[in-house]
Amino acid sequence: MNSLLRVAIYGTGVLVVMFLMLPILAVIPASFNHASFIQLPPSRWSLRWYEAFLADSEWYQSLFTSIQVAVVATLLSLGLGTTAALGLQKASPRWRTVLNAVLISPLVVPVIITAIALYYTMRPLGLHGTTLGMAMGHTVLALPFVVVNVGVALRSIEPNCLRAAEGLGASPFATFRTITLPLISPGLASGAAFAFITSFDEVVVSIFLSSATTKTLSVKMWEIIRVEYTPVTAVASAILMVVTFLLFVLVQFALRHRTGQEGGHAR
Amino acid sequence: MHAESLEFRGIEKFFGRTRALDPIALQLAAGEFVTLLGPSGSGKTTLLNIAAGFLKPDGGSLHIGTQDVTALPARKRNIGMVFQNYALFPHMNVFENIAYGLRVRGVASTDIEARVRRALDGVRLGEYAERAIRQLSGGQQQRVALARALVIEPPVLLMDEPLGALDRQLRKQVQLEIRRLHREFGRTTLFVTHDQEEALAMSDRIAVMRGGRIEQIGRPNDLYQRPANVFVASFLGESNILNGTVQSLEGGVAIVRIDGLACEVRGEAVAGVVPGQPAGALIRPEAIAISVAGEGLRAQLIEVVPLGEIVAMRLQLETGQEFWVRRFSGTQVPDAGHEVRLSWRTEDVRILPMQT
Repeated sequence: MNSLLRVAIYGTGVLVVMFLMLPILAVIPASFNHASFIQLPPSRWSLRWYEAFLADSEWYQSLFTSIQVAVVATLLSLGLGTTAALGLQKASPRWRTVLNAVLISPLVVPVIITAIALYYTMRPLGLHGTTLGMAMGHTVLALPFVVVNVGVALRSIEPNCLRAAEGLGASPFATFRTITLPLISPGLASGAAFAFITSFDEVVVSIFLSSATTKTLSVKMWEIIRVEYTPVTAVASAILMVVTFLLFVLVQFALRHRTGQEGGHAR
Repeated sequence: MHAESLEFRGIEKFFGRTRALDPIALQLAAGEFVTLLGPSGSGKTTLLNIAAGFLKPDGGSLHIGTQDVTALPARKRNIGMVFQNYALFPHMNVFENIAYGLRVRGVASTDIEARVRRALDGVRLGEYAERAIRQLSGGQQQRVALARALVIEPPVLLMDEPLGALDRQLRKQVQLEIRRLHREFGRTTLFVTHDQEEALAMSDRIAVMRGGRIEQIGRPNDLYQRPANVFVASFLGESNILNGTVQSLEGGVAIVRIDGLACEVRGEAVAGVVPGQPAGALIRPEAIAISVAGEGLRAQLIEVVPLGEIVAMRLQLETGQEFWVRRFSGTQVPDAGHEVRLSWRTEDVRILPMQT
């Protein structure tokens, strides 16, 4: 009876994971189709649609735009988010609650509303349809992740460490550079990764802010999938997924390595 | 650099509207080891943080040597600081932790190497330069923290309960280490603790604090022998205190009528004892003679507790008050449950005011 229950529990677990994972993983074999429609499993395998992806300048141009936008958005949200997290720590408890709520709000406000608001803000400023405009839009969405991750890292710093540095003669800036910054670097890394991923696969804001010449990979996919159903979208999906996955692994590896070094003080 | 004197002149502090420190006057001679002893909330850490520059006083001034440092930020005071939780930099190894203060001062790297090595040898951690902090025990971490504070050759060293996080065995070890370093380098040291044994063992002078005030300051033995009031007496060492009212005071000797016991106790009065006012008669546990018959204060021997080199006896007076008596182990003592008589010499009794 007991072992039966266990089998049932594990079985359910496996089914849930399969339900979540299989549709996502399915794009990988789908992208190696030879046919001009998506067939699963493919009756013939080929790299034909990868060639098509690379041959079409609009596709790889959109991938390049995506990366460009994601990099800029990551840098912007790292800078803004880190300073915000530092400021939050210094704020009085009441202000901290209010400011935190404001900074986290993009996570709660429906994305479509953010997208429309950004659309009407960017147009008169001439930022609509530009890489910078899109990066700024993504920064709004990515900011909470940086604020939260860096905030957690900041709170884990022993306050007396900063006092010790000050007592030893370090200026506030030197203390920040030599003590605070190294100690929050795991938070910066995960914040950056989340920011990058948020921007890289963002589609709602991107649709509103894109133009005929400036569109991200996800926007291009959204456009194409409505007119044709070729495995080239599966190729794009596979690329999107692999980049995201690699980034995630990289950050996990970096974090593991760091905590391995300073695990004794992670508490 | 040599040691410098440290002086608090009327330093006071408020947290909001609550007064955290009454105006404090305290002077540490160059090379002196002074302990701030008191229960939590007595203001000792506040005073230390003001000395370090982490807190701004609301009044008074602070002087190191001849310099008024009240307005100087912590980083310019050149003070060595040791914290209860070590506060070592977790991302640096032992060497880099100790070198930190020298690096921010822009000391040449060859000098840094030599001075850090010397500091490491000073705390007997010569082999540990390349270790990560988390590989060290608490005692070793605190010794690294000591080396880090001393390597910048501060004229004044501040320690905030540096032994508080260590277990008993290590505490003794690090305590000896601190005393040895103080003897060797002679830094003016302000040490904060709530542990009276630590204070008695380490200090040139002890300042007993309560409620943001210094109740008494003096050499450990003087404080033990002549506490200024009942609070100091009960905070330093084991004490038996009989409460009563002062009957008379003549030639430094007071007679106190003890509440609820219909007896009088005679003893040496300290300053502040006033006839007609309440007072406490302090009799230390080692000054009490115990016998099964004869004259003396009647008491019930509740239990005999062996403590290694001494035995402690817990007794109960007729009023229900607890009394402690101590003897060296091996001395003949009555069995628990006996009724006994307690007596003492007049010169071992101190009559203390309840408050100052």
